[in-house]
Amino acid sequence: MSTRRVLYALAGTVAVLLIGAILHPGFASWSSLRVMLVVASFTGFVAAGQMLVVLVGGIDLSIPWVLNGAAIVLTTSSLGQTSRAPLAIVLALGVGALVGLGNGMGVAWLGVPAVVMTLGMNGVMQGLTLGLSKGLTCASCGSYAPAPLRGLFDGALPAQLFLWAGVGLFMTVLLTLTTFGRRVYAVGVNPRAAFLSGVGVRGVTVALYTLSGVFAALAGIALVAYGGQPSLGLGDPYLFESIAAVVVGGVSILGGRGHYLGVIAGSLTLVAVTTFLQAQRVPEYGRLMIYGLVILTILFAYGREKAHD
Amino acid sequence: MREALRRASLGYLVLAATVVAYLVVYTSRLGRFPTSFDYLSILNTTLPLVFVAIGQSLVVLTGGIDLSVGGIVSVCVAVTASRVTGGVLSSYTWIVVIIAMGAACGAVNGLIVAYGRIAPILTTLATLSIFSGLALWVLPVPGGSIPPEVRLVLTNPGTPTGLIWLGLAVVGWLVLRRTRFGMRVYAVGSDESSARAVGVPAAAVKLKVYALSGLCSALAAVFYVSTTTAGDANAGNPFILTSIASVVVGGVAFSGGRGSALGAVAGAVALTLVIDILFFSGIDPLYQSLFQGLFLVVAVLLGTVAALVARRRRLA
Repeated sequence: MSTRRVLYALAGTVAVLLIGAILHPGFASWSSLRVMLVVASFTGFVAAGQMLVVLVGGIDLSIPWVLNGAAIVLTTSSLGQTSRAPLAIVLALGVGALVGLGNGMGVAWLGVPAVVMTLGMNGVMQGLTLGLSKGLTCASCGSYAPAPLRGLFDGALPAQLFLWAGVGLFMTVLLTLTTFGRRVYAVGVNPRAAFLSGVGVRGVTVALYTLSGVFAALAGIALVAYGGQPSLGLGDPYLFESIAAVVVGGVSILGGRGHYLGVIAGSLTLVAVTTFLQAQRVPEYGRLMIYGLVILTILFAYGREKAHD
Repeated sequence: MREALRRASLGYLVLAATVVAYLVVYTSRLGRFPTSFDYLSILNTTLPLVFVAIGQSLVVLTGGIDLSVGGIVSVCVAVTASRVTGGVLSSYTWIVVIIAMGAACGAVNGLIVAYGRIAPILTTLATLSIFSGLALWVLPVPGGSIPPEVRLVLTNPGTPTGLIWLGLAVVGWLVLRRTRFGMRVYAVGSDESSARAVGVPAAAVKLKVYALSGLCSALAAVFYVSTTTAGDANAGNPFILTSIASVVVGGVAFSGGRGSALGAVAGAVALTLVIDILFFSGIDPLYQSLFQGLFLVVAVLLGTVAALVARRRRLA
């Protein structure tokens, strides 16, 4: 059932690319595909984290400002110097992990609903990011990302794509080949049954939220490397985009079903739709409406819930 | 029943605490009590969120969630700011049209959720994008206006006309929850399959709930333009998260079936007051969302702790 959904997601991507290539020659050429893959990789990173928490029936609304905070931590701690880059990356990922850990503890131990916990955490991170960087006017806030990071996007086959492939491999191995992965699906299908059969439900939940924070931070690092400098609101588009990519990728929003391969396809589909509409010079209002309609169409194709009767 | 009462009262407790905090901070900062002008401006700035929160709480009561409130508010703000500009008669006609439009947008959500069987969060995520696009189409650049005559009736800056609308909303809810439809909303939210089994038309109830949520968003939009006297196609976006926060602080359970829209109203007022408290306590506005986030989590944690204590007492 869930493998079939991955196939649907891939078919969806191919369909969008085909329609694009027919209506707009050159749309599916490698040079244009490469740009789309790079842009989709950012969504792919945040969607990896979002997928993990969605698999256990949760949701992570703290992604936007974890991403933004990590991006600013990266530039302000590295000051654009290559020698400080490794430390800065560790620091940025650490911030993501810490926030994710906080989310996980709140959800698993304090019993705060995921929507509330992560929504509150998003506010906390927004306040901290704005306050500590004084609205991004601090002395070191004008720094650029270190040169090696900016090199992620150079060449005919950018290193960023290998990074995304690495994330894909990590997610697939983690979810399909490890005991941890089995436990994640078990918790997602039925937390109570999982608990009774000896799965540490709380531990799994905390680990997943932590990973989600790390992936959001990773997306922040990649985005700031891509753009050179961080900006405020950098992460805002990725909240709903990550949820859309997860669902278009065939992951059940109720938890327990889905594969990262589908999410890769989902991210690519969303970016392909946006790129196509931009190439056709559709104005922004039209892009928004068509984007919504495409998501609805995909949901009608394979995202419906079972009938009640 | 006691559980329902406890959940509802969480919102009032939080509101009472924020009101006290507001009075303390205000008087210690300015050395005098808030004037009627202060109360009036709080009332007028809260009204839009109050209405969105009522709509959101109805949806949450059935176990759903409505992310598209942001889009519906935006599109209705865009139409209000660009069309409600002429004479008094045409203005009121347009307001009626706008309210109907909001309800229609909501009904689209309801149709997809109830009859298309797509999860509420996903349906409203997709329609959010569609409605936001519509808003941008109607009002590409921020602007517009509203006639002063209309403004005097809706959110009069001199007299508390807002109290009338707030009162009507509260009475409307009190009547609604006692109707057959109101009972059915709770029934669907508590246990949908049982509700179906005893003959509650769950799909029809959901359709109406989403339509009502859209209607509330349209009302919120009209009040929003009346307070700010201008429109912006992105005006609705902040309401997505703040309406959810109001519902949560107001003690409405996300699992559905428990809580009250009045709790959400209390939550909405409390959330607005928190901003004023932060302002008067001289905290850097950049840190504002930090405290709002903490406020949200702490308010809910208090509710959880209270529930644990109550359960332990009952067991003992």
